[in-house]
Amino acid sequence: MIPELQILAQATADPSRFANMVVDGLSLGTIYALLAVGFVIIFKATQVLNFAHGALSALGAFFVASYATIIDIPGRWMPGAPDWLVWTLAVLIALVTMALVGAALERVFLRPMVGEELFALAIVTLGLDIVLRSITNDFIAPLERPMGDPFGLGILDLGWVTIPHTQILQMIVAVVAVTAIAVFFRSRMGIAMRATAFDQEAARAQGISVGRVFSLAWAIGAVLAAIAGVFISVFPRRAAGVGPSTAFFAFAAFPAIIIGGLDSVVGAIVGGLIVGFAQAASSSYLRFEILGTGFGGVVPWLLMMVILIVRPYGLFGTEEIRRV
Amino acid sequence: MRGRPLLYTSYEGDQALMNTTPKKLLLGLFLAFLVAIPFQLVPVFGFLGENSWLKLLSTAAIFAIGALGLNILTGLAGQVSLGHAFFMGLGAYTAAFLGGEPGPLAGLGLPMWIWLPAAGAVAALVGLAVGPTAVRVRGLYLAFVTLGLVFIGEYIWINWTWLTGGSQSGREFPEFELRIWKEEEPLIDFASDGAWFGIELSGEAKTYLLMLALLIAFVLFAKNIQRTRVGRAFQSIRDRDIAAEIMGVDEFKYKLQAFAISSFFAGVSGALLASFVGRTIPERWNLFLSVTFIAIILIGGAGVVTGTLLGASFVILLPRIVEDVTEWLTAYVVEGTGLFVWLVDLIVVTNPEDWGIINISQGFGPGLSVALFNQVIYGLLIIGFLIFEPLGLYGIWLRIRNYWKGWPFTY
Amino acid sequence: MRMNSKTLAILLTMGLVLAACSPSGGDATTTTEGDAAATTEGSTDTTEGSTATTEGEMEIATDVGVDLEAGTIDIGLLSDLSGGFAGLVTPIVTGHEVYWENVNANGGIEGLTVNLDIQDTGYVIDNHVQKYEEMKDSVVALGHSTGSPHTVAINDALQEDGILALPLTWYSGWTDPALNANLLHHGSPYCIEAQNVIQWLTEQMEDISTIAIVSVGGDYGLDSAAGAVLAAEGLGLEVVLDLAGGITDEASILAAADQIAEASPDLVWMTLIPSITSALFGQALANGYQGIWAGAGPSFSPAFVAPDSPIKDAVTASMYFGFYLEGWSGTSPGTEAAKELLLGAGRDIAPFDYYLEGVLEAQMMHQILQAAYDAGDMTQFGVLTAAKGFENMSFDGLGPDESYVGNPNEQLQRQTWVMKPDPDGLVAGTTGGAAIAAAAYTGSLVAEMDFTGACYVLGS
Repeated sequence: MIPELQILAQATADPSRFANMVVDGLSLGTIYALLAVGFVIIFKATQVLNFAHGALSALGAFFVASYATIIDIPGRWMPGAPDWLVWTLAVLIALVTMALVGAALERVFLRPMVGEELFALAIVTLGLDIVLRSITNDFIAPLERPMGDPFGLGILDLGWVTIPHTQILQMIVAVVAVTAIAVFFRSRMGIAMRATAFDQEAARAQGISVGRVFSLAWAIGAVLAAIAGVFISVFPRRAAGVGPSTAFFAFAAFPAIIIGGLDSVVGAIVGGLIVGFAQAASSSYLRFEILGTGFGGVVPWLLMMVILIVRPYGLFGTEEIRRV
Repeated sequence: MRGRPLLYTSYEGDQALMNTTPKKLLLGLFLAFLVAIPFQLVPVFGFLGENSWLKLLSTAAIFAIGALGLNILTGLAGQVSLGHAFFMGLGAYTAAFLGGEPGPLAGLGLPMWIWLPAAGAVAALVGLAVGPTAVRVRGLYLAFVTLGLVFIGEYIWINWTWLTGGSQSGREFPEFELRIWKEEEPLIDFASDGAWFGIELSGEAKTYLLMLALLIAFVLFAKNIQRTRVGRAFQSIRDRDIAAEIMGVDEFKYKLQAFAISSFFAGVSGALLASFVGRTIPERWNLFLSVTFIAIILIGGAGVVTGTLLGASFVILLPRIVEDVTEWLTAYVVEGTGLFVWLVDLIVVTNPEDWGIINISQGFGPGLSVALFNQVIYGLLIIGFLIFEPLGLYGIWLRIRNYWKGWPFTY
Repeated sequence: MRMNSKTLAILLTMGLVLAACSPSGGDATTTTEGDAAATTEGSTDTTEGSTATTEGEMEIATDVGVDLEAGTIDIGLLSDLSGGFAGLVTPIVTGHEVYWENVNANGGIEGLTVNLDIQDTGYVIDNHVQKYEEMKDSVVALGHSTGSPHTVAINDALQEDGILALPLTWYSGWTDPALNANLLHHGSPYCIEAQNVIQWLTEQMEDISTIAIVSVGGDYGLDSAAGAVLAAEGLGLEVVLDLAGGITDEASILAAADQIAEASPDLVWMTLIPSITSALFGQALANGYQGIWAGAGPSFSPAFVAPDSPIKDAVTASMYFGFYLEGWSGTSPGTEAAKELLLGAGRDIAPFDYYLEGVLEAQMMHQILQAAYDAGDMTQFGVLTAAKGFENMSFDGLGPDESYVGNPNEQLQRQTWVMKPDPDGLVAGTTGGAAIAAAAYTGSLVAEMDFTGACYVLGS
């Protein structure tokens, strides 16, 4: 047997390493899934491929940091209130801010482009990404801004595996967010959004305010990105808080979106988890010198390529039917 | 029939590169202008003959060569690619392997006439190899496949240390020269100062002239692709792929060709860029380089060679212009007197208590630093062109031209 | 025109002696003469040479960047103001600005006003080379040049043009005569820093016997990692995990954190950037690792110990950093003066060690320019000559004294400051987030080290 494979066999037999990998995979995967779902909602409803998603997550995290620590809203009006309550309220205010920012960006930069080809819309968001990142970095400078969360270094120790409290919260929040979106899609507005995604003109003819749907989709996308941004910027992932590198975290969510299929919410969740687990597994088990450094980072992209060769529209994406 | 514009009596006449006399004249004048720049012969624009401006213009020419390639793939054949940086890296490292100095890092020390075409050829071959995957996926999925190429490429460059020098260290690249084989003294040395035909020229001026010549060659190449069978096939695929196939255009074959040609341009451009700068790290060939090229063809006007050239010049010269303007504004606020000082002061932050958009004091505080302001302008320009002028700078040029065509009538 | 450093030293000393004998010009109004000066070799652009006579009948030769008629000196800075190190380089640039504003307000250098030409490179080599090209015909020297591969990229041009640059990186190769003909380094290189900090820790703590090495790529990560390996060899530590250059992205941070927790070394030596330090530290902590961490200076950020930082206490308890100068917690006359200068500059300045680095670089340039003035040659090449001849450059304790004569072994800076994170000091405004644990420390390993070349060789 090849010595490296022997190491692999031994490592696989180690239950605590495996458990650790599962935790890593879940915590990474849920972040990617949150980013990917927001991305897919924006894409489905407005046909915009949002390259500025990473910038939105950094901006959202910055709002949380500033409400929770720098300008202390609502903390300054509620002395003596428990930390967790103040922080939760600060996060909620930040999310509302992000919803407004998302809707405003759509209204100002993308509404005039309605009806243009997909490619042009995607490139607008590339420009938006540059603008948002520069401004966010200027806000953040000179130092990383901590999130001011009340969880500290809390770790749940089960003996065979350890899970930080923030990551438990993150998984709960992800499940709640996804459920909320599933429920939303059954509401009146949600059905309007699905109708718009299906056919903009027909939806309009039915009296659906397509413009409002667009704004709402961007608001939801921005909020989900901000939630992901907060969990990127807390212990243990980036204990020092949000910084210029936060925006780049979202790059790994791109293969997740494609693996799942660009226009499938379920696909985004599955894709996010696949990418998270692939990265965790490669960092736990693929430690061969021959792979060099940074192999874990390209695993999602390689996976994406393989899946696209087999299924050109991803695992759950709708195949484009081409009629003559 | 002579002297009547837009009246063509033959197909060749319609398709000719220079179909009207004013075009011939203007182009001739403009070429003369470009050639005259390094000799400091140009009135008004004499400052362009300074070494730093020559370097910027050379950079613009190198980016233009790469952008011409992307323009063929994206503008003509309609295939969105974010993978241009990968193919540029491929070209650069081919050049380094063939032309680099033998030493601790790989290098064969071959002359430029080998490594430059080889850089394009290797990139084109790899383009052909990944082509089938790329042809299978469509539209936005293709953008992501090519984006994946950039990330996988970066991983390869970082780990291939004996060729690339490794992450954040990088390596040196061969210099521009003309040698027959490996002789010590090149016939023409573009890197150092010296006289050509009795005229004293700086290394920057010589490099500029070389880049200009290469650019002209590649422009002709691109123009000829565009107006021949291959180019028309590309455009038919872009406009309606199924209709094209019914007319007998082999979609698979032509998409592969588009990839190969575009990669060739990218490879050459990458080799030129790396050698021009002299030293490059593996992280250089990243997504943002690809985005720069997308920006160039969009700002210039997708699908048009002239637009690509305009776009490249604009994107490369823009930061310098923004810097100069901010500098001027600063001086104006600090020293100037007059009506507009308070207006400009609204934009420029001069002290920590002041508010404004640009912070000129380089430190932290209110307002964007000049560097970040530059980035914001760049981003806003990409957005602005897409929203307000989808045809890009070329569209603006068209409108100006049409206005003067009908002058003094409005249409 | 090549001279060995001894000849230069002798010439310079003579120049200094002569300058000391001449009446020190209280009002140094310079009267310019039209004719060109003789000593303008070494520089390619000798277009505007001129000489000036002070009261002491001393002739000052100038070419580029010094205008005696207008009374100005121009210095260029190639800074990263928008790239990966903007957070550190921006305060350094502010340090330069504040220092020169003060000098100018107090009469400048012999009446000459110093202007800075600050150019942003975004930490991209292409821009670095371009900006160098733009400033080389207008500045007398480069006050700093950010980044090692970036500085190497302009090194040939610097030598061709005869221009001095102070590299803003602590790469050990800058002490190598093969590289540094036109460069003047300062502070202990990464490789020395790693050895010093690791040795100091083993002296303080008995039970360190295993070490893990984690770093980013490039000269920064690999030079420092090479130093850590030397330290491990010299001190008999077992390297249980070597991830030199192994940190490139999110997945690699995850892998490193897992491996650190599994290998459980007594000490982790890290050469990272702050965001990665906090990620690696946090995830290793979450995986149950509880050893000691030590790292190169730029790995640390005061954000770690900010009042709201969750890792504040953990970092304070287990982390150490090297640094190249005394930093904000220092109390030497040089540091105190610099702090006073910065805080009194009417700018938005909070305690941060890198402001002082900026002041230190500016002081280096000040001393060099003064020496060039005294030697009567303020051409680009004259400034370079003055710089390379310094036998003792002192900063009153702001940073270690430097010497630029003799063989590389004599020039190598071996003093490192060991810093300990200090959240209380950050809140009180007495430190920039870290306090001195050991000042100007030189371990026996480093003291005995025979410098023969860079610890990590940059590819060419």
